[in-house]
Amino acid sequence: MSEFAVEMRGIVKRFPGVVANNDIDFDLKQGEIHGLLGENGAGKTVLMSILYGLYFPDEGQILIDGTAYSHYRPAQAIRLGIGMVHQHFMLVPRLTVAENIMLGQEPAKSGLFLDRETAIRKIEAFSEQYGLPIDPRARVEQLPVSEQQRIEIIKALYRGANTLILDEPTAVLTEQNVEHLAAAMRKLKEEGESTILITHKLREAIGMCDRITVLRKGTVVGTVNAQETSERELAEMMVGRDVVFTIRRSQAKGAPSPTLRVRDVDAKDDRGLPALKKVSLDLRKHEILGIAGVQGNGQAELAEALTGLRPIQSGTIALHDRRLAGKTARDFITAGIAHIPADRHLRGLVMDFSLRENAILGQHRSKPFSPHRFWQSPQAITGFTRDIIEAFGVRTPSAATLARNLSGGNQQRLIIGRELSKDPAVIIASQPTRGLDVGGIEYVHEQLLKMRDRGAAVLLISMDLDEILMVSDRIAVMYDGQIVAIKKPDETGRRELGELMLSGSSPRLQEQENQEA
Amino acid sequence: MDILKDIFTLHLVLSTLRLATPIALIALGETFSERVGIIHVGVEGTAVLGGLVSALVAYFTGNAWLALIAAPLAGGLAGGLHAVWCIRFRANHVVSGIGINILVAGLALFITSSVWGWRGTSTYAPTLNIWYISCAALVIIIASQIFIFRTKWGLRLRVVGEKPEAADTAGINVHRTRYIYTILNGVLCGLAGAFFFNSVGRFTSGMVGGRGFIGIAAMVIGNYSPVGALGAALLFGFIDALQMRLQSFIPSQFSIMLPYLLTVLVLAFFIRRANVPAALGKHYIKQ
Repeated sequence: MSEFAVEMRGIVKRFPGVVANNDIDFDLKQGEIHGLLGENGAGKTVLMSILYGLYFPDEGQILIDGTAYSHYRPAQAIRLGIGMVHQHFMLVPRLTVAENIMLGQEPAKSGLFLDRETAIRKIEAFSEQYGLPIDPRARVEQLPVSEQQRIEIIKALYRGANTLILDEPTAVLTEQNVEHLAAAMRKLKEEGESTILITHKLREAIGMCDRITVLRKGTVVGTVNAQETSERELAEMMVGRDVVFTIRRSQAKGAPSPTLRVRDVDAKDDRGLPALKKVSLDLRKHEILGIAGVQGNGQAELAEALTGLRPIQSGTIALHDRRLAGKTARDFITAGIAHIPADRHLRGLVMDFSLRENAILGQHRSKPFSPHRFWQSPQAITGFTRDIIEAFGVRTPSAATLARNLSGGNQQRLIIGRELSKDPAVIIASQPTRGLDVGGIEYVHEQLLKMRDRGAAVLLISMDLDEILMVSDRIAVMYDGQIVAIKKPDETGRRELGELMLSGSSPRLQEQENQEA
Repeated sequence: MDILKDIFTLHLVLSTLRLATPIALIALGETFSERVGIIHVGVEGTAVLGGLVSALVAYFTGNAWLALIAAPLAGGLAGGLHAVWCIRFRANHVVSGIGINILVAGLALFITSSVWGWRGTSTYAPTLNIWYISCAALVIIIASQIFIFRTKWGLRLRVVGEKPEAADTAGINVHRTRYIYTILNGVLCGLAGAFFFNSVGRFTSGMVGGRGFIGIAAMVIGNYSPVGALGAALLFGFIDALQMRLQSFIPSQFSIMLPYLLTVLVLAFFIRRANVPAALGKHYIKQ
């Protein structure tokens, strides 16, 4: 038995336009819990998909228990003792728990008939041994997510996994169930299992892991012992202490004046829980307001509320003096609010439509494109699309190409072109540079700054603190559905913002409050 | 009362069993292919092909047993064609199935007119007692019920139709599984075609007469289980037998409508209960 359950050496994985993994070294000791920490898009899931055989690496070597393997598929990874619990469960809802678990390795009576009872006994034994309570006879569709996750873990163990990959397992769990999972992971460790925990939550990484490897933008920032690190150190590693980009923030040309007023807005998330709690802010002409925050603190809901996509429970949203709260997304568009959505594929584009059709989405009713109630003007639409392609440098064979066939960066250019060519008063930009390469990122920043200088009010929501610091004129920090602070970029730093993002308050802030009290 | 006595006879029971046999075979075939996610509306044409090949082999060899073996083989070939279109080339399942129906219809006219000189009809050829096929069908259906719900292969085929990703991560070859059961569907439809030939003694292009589609309806009513399909097929067989008896009492134009009318009514009321496989009609593309 090798000292390492898994060793990955110099792993490189390229996708069109992105290097998802750039020369990554990663090792997992026998019987340890190793956290893989990083922001979205840092390359964690890609690295683990490579280990599980879902992708082949472009370069690099993988050793499993000391032996090198290449070009293997998940079926072989399972035989080598690697089990993966995917973020989206691989369970058949209509079948029973036992059927799901034994699938592929079914015990048989007289070599022919399914031996459910043997499988159930075996599953119950695993359930007992690892402290993962499940009911093998229940149908999966009737079970809560936390139990489905336990089923997935037992499924991997049943198939003989001694190395478990858990992909963001806590993302779907409540606080209490996270505790249960942590206990189960300790039990797995006692039983000699090696575990890789993919997460972007610092506290969990420190609480659950032995060692933590931090990825950032496809490279390893470092590996630290969980007991010798702090949330602060990890946060710095995650967001990066070296400033890669030079700050190009320039003074806005005009004076800021309030454009979009948001007052005491409450909104719920998709599960019906409060996501925005009395949010008030002003978007001002000639100004970029950056929203910093750890993912899931209400930023997505804020963007949706300000574009009319998510109904608000109470509060007001007014553009100049026009009240928009309670109106439809169409009213928000006609009022002059442009939206660069976080998910290009879901909300930004219709992937199977051509660039022409995508270019006029949202303004397809307007006169030049639809001069008559029933007919569109193909010439006007093609001309407009060509203008966007030219002005925003969309690399495409033609205006009739399907959006699906463009690279991520070019898709984003098309969306930005469409939104900015409306000459909007307000721009809501959610994660506008996610998944883009350096050139693409610079381009997006230039465009946002240009719109600001022309007098637009810009809201920039980003997970990337560098980006926020680089282009914002003011920075608002969101924590738990609230704006907890608004700062000038010159008067704050990564450290203070990080504190605010993690806890909703900073030591300096607390000091001030204490003094005031 | 006398009329009822005239209608409900032993003959009616036997007719029911006889008429239910091909519908049950086709419904069983469709159950297999839809359970792995492949819709096959070409079962109608595949049954016609089975009848045509039976007639050809019986005519040229004079051996009815050889004809009985040849029909399922031809059906399996047609099933394989459908599988290649749907799996290898990711064609739309319904379009590919309709293609097979049209292809066989054309083929039948061409072959009958070039072999026997009549468009759409063969001459009489040696046949078997159809009860062999009916009894075999019953055995096959019960065995299939056990196979699908009690064996590991059955579990695997159900997962392939419900969630192919899960099957794939469990090391099950999704595409191979789909090929196997789509071909099996063709084999069973070919056997149904042989039944039609043997019950008439010659091939006629209209002899399947929509019972392939009724077979699909029976599969839906049977809620994707072989025994359920058998039950539904018996219902259709009974109505068909009944309408034949009723032809002595009411105009045949009306009684002939009965099975089709029943299909529409039953589907309208039963479709909600249907246990449709989650990945039905969806192409599985490995990442």
